[in-house]
Amino acid sequence: MSKVVERSQDLGPCIPQNDDDLIICRCEEITKGEIRQAVHDGMYNLTEVKRYLRTGMGLCQGQTCSRLVRSIVAKELGISPAELELTSARSPARPIEMQTYSNEVW
Amino acid sequence: MKRYELIVIGAGPAGLSAAIEAASWGMKVIVFDENVRPGGQLFKQIHKFFGSKKHKAKIRGFRIGDTLLKEAEQAGVTVQLKATVMGVFNNKEITVMMNDQIEHFKGDNILIATGASENMITFPGWTLPGVIGAGAAQTLMNLHGVKPGSKILMVGSGNVGLVVSFQLLQAGCEVVAIIDASSRIGGYGVHAAKVARTGVPYYLSHTIIQAEGEDCVTGAVIGEVDDHWQIIEGTQKKLDVDTICLAVGLSPMSQLARMAGCEMIDEAVKGGLVPLCSEYGETSIPGLFCAGDVAGIEEASSAMIQGRIAGSVAARRAGYILDQEFAQKNADFQESLAQLREGMFGAEKKGKNLSHTDEGIPLSLTLLQEGYINEAEIQRFPGFSETISSETKTKGVYPVIECTQNIPCNPCQDACQQGCISIGDRITSLPIVTDKEKCSGCGMCVSSCPGQAIFLIEENYEEDYVAISLPYEFLPLPQPGEQGLALDRSGQAVGSAEIVKVRQGKAMDETAIVTMKVRAKYAASARFYQQLEGCLSGGSTEALAMKGGELE
Amino acid sequence: MRIKEHPILHTFPKGVTVPFFFDGKTLEGCEGEPIAAALRAAGVMVHRHTSRFGQPRGIFCAIGRCTDCVMVVDGKPNVRTCITPLRAGMQVQTQYGVSAKEV
Repeated sequence: MSKVVERSQDLGPCIPQNDDDLIICRCEEITKGEIRQAVHDGMYNLTEVKRYLRTGMGLCQGQTCSRLVRSIVAKELGISPAELELTSARSPARPIEMQTYSNEVW
Repeated sequence: MKRYELIVIGAGPAGLSAAIEAASWGMKVIVFDENVRPGGQLFKQIHKFFGSKKHKAKIRGFRIGDTLLKEAEQAGVTVQLKATVMGVFNNKEITVMMNDQIEHFKGDNILIATGASENMITFPGWTLPGVIGAGAAQTLMNLHGVKPGSKILMVGSGNVGLVVSFQLLQAGCEVVAIIDASSRIGGYGVHAAKVARTGVPYYLSHTIIQAEGEDCVTGAVIGEVDDHWQIIEGTQKKLDVDTICLAVGLSPMSQLARMAGCEMIDEAVKGGLVPLCSEYGETSIPGLFCAGDVAGIEEASSAMIQGRIAGSVAARRAGYILDQEFAQKNADFQESLAQLREGMFGAEKKGKNLSHTDEGIPLSLTLLQEGYINEAEIQRFPGFSETISSETKTKGVYPVIECTQNIPCNPCQDACQQGCISIGDRITSLPIVTDKEKCSGCGMCVSSCPGQAIFLIEENYEEDYVAISLPYEFLPLPQPGEQGLALDRSGQAVGSAEIVKVRQGKAMDETAIVTMKVRAKYAASARFYQQLEGCLSGGSTEALAMKGGELE
Repeated sequence: MRIKEHPILHTFPKGVTVPFFFDGKTLEGCEGEPIAAALRAAGVMVHRHTSRFGQPRGIFCAIGRCTDCVMVVDGKPNVRTCITPLRAGMQVQTQYGVSAKEV
């Protein structure tokens, strides 16, 4: 079973690192340490990390950080980033005002 | 809901090419782009492109953009700007945000040509104002005419880092250093060399440790890394910069393809997650195509061909092209694309530490590590005419081609009317100076070389002096009679130089040919000219005098 | 910071010079150019301070993707200044969190 779904595995304690306060998600201001801690808290995939911390849920919608978050989570799980499925790509693909989004013409 | 035979998402080189191709067969095509201007990144590319004539080689990117726009107009393509595609759904239906509303469209065929986004690296201070993407630097200086900063640190020595560094110099900025965590320069040697000869230093196996500053960047600390990417203690160096430019790779912007449900594949050589595509660029969803960087990071020239292929396949699907006609056309496109993918930077050899050229010549290691070829190494390449500095002085002028890596490019061969330069049919072969006696000194090879790697040497210009002609794309343009410094390939001053001729012309397309007179002993080393006042890469006049070496 | 003469592009097609307001100060820029370009040309680096840590941010991607350069423009927050054209008399304010600083 892939490590991504194997929830019983023991990742050990989240040992602090000296670059833990680096901002990774620029929009929501989520740090590397918080992302690492989230994995140790049981968030084993990118969707869970996103819902737990709001990484990639800010204005830019993960344009800059998704690749960075993926590599941090993968490293913490001891797997390759390619093994981690990205969060769903959904419409709207770009930030949009609700007023505009509701103004739909066919 | 409006219906089109082909909907193209993204008006960059791939999207426009596809639209032009499809429309020229009679298809009803619309192109959506979220920007206020079409052309994608083409209008920021002010350098001459590589390739052969059919790849639009030696034409500057923004001029190719102009041509594409004209062709699109003539072909009857509708380009809808400020139109952001918000979603791609079942049955090739899309939603587009335009005019403050969401509109629905349906395409018989859809081409996703959304390009790429820039990768970033993190370090303390990376969120400070003054840390920018290399694309941001290009946008500010080449589109808006505003310098991104005064003193720049470039992080990344791939083609983007090298090309943008050169453009920063052209915009009048000082490039303090180019660093790369890799031990080898990632981009074309010729791009590295044209930056190196202006005096910009390279720090390979170096990474950025920190951006300094409270409100914005006031400095940067870099350091050398070991084989495990760890900083070697004691190698930290502080650089006085106000801007840090990140050029650390691109990722395919493939979200729309994922949203559409295309089968995806994560491939390092393509830059990340890309839709699985056929040779026609068709994804796992029939009629849904991808072309350009979204299908795998390459460059604009191949994106344009990929676009043409997708456009013609869509036309065949819709019955506008007969199979036989299509087969012929596709064969041409595929051959053209294959040519661009050959060479030491092509997909097959990308990222491999090659040691020799296809011809079996050992690569220049100083070029890979310092950004310039040293004088001893250049002599083993076929573009070098070996009579320089020999006892038997030749009369007249001849070219020296400092092109030492197999890259897909051959404008020099076409430029020479005298037949001195030969590359052959395989456009990645190194150029050979076949018969230097025939050289007329016209300089067309010098200005046509996208890598600015060709120089003309005239030995015996005067007693004990040679004349060296070199490509020059900076302001102010030197004037005949002017005295300055002759720089070597690393940007160090070797001696004084006098400008004897400056040539400009429409055919040279802004690449002036500057001829300088230097002492004969510098014939093999002097490769750039620096004006005494207001130099390119910064530094004061005193500093120049200090590195002026032997001033005569 | 403006490039007066460029070796390849020569000059840049620009709109007329217009005044606009940055945090109450009058600055000048070219009509139609992105607000961010006008600010950079005027030497303004900081566009906003973040909500959580109060850190300064400015131009990062310059093509409307990263949303780091957002400011309060004519009273509206989160406006991407790198892709919003400058108009005469625009009120551009440094954004703190999601609003302008209360006067």
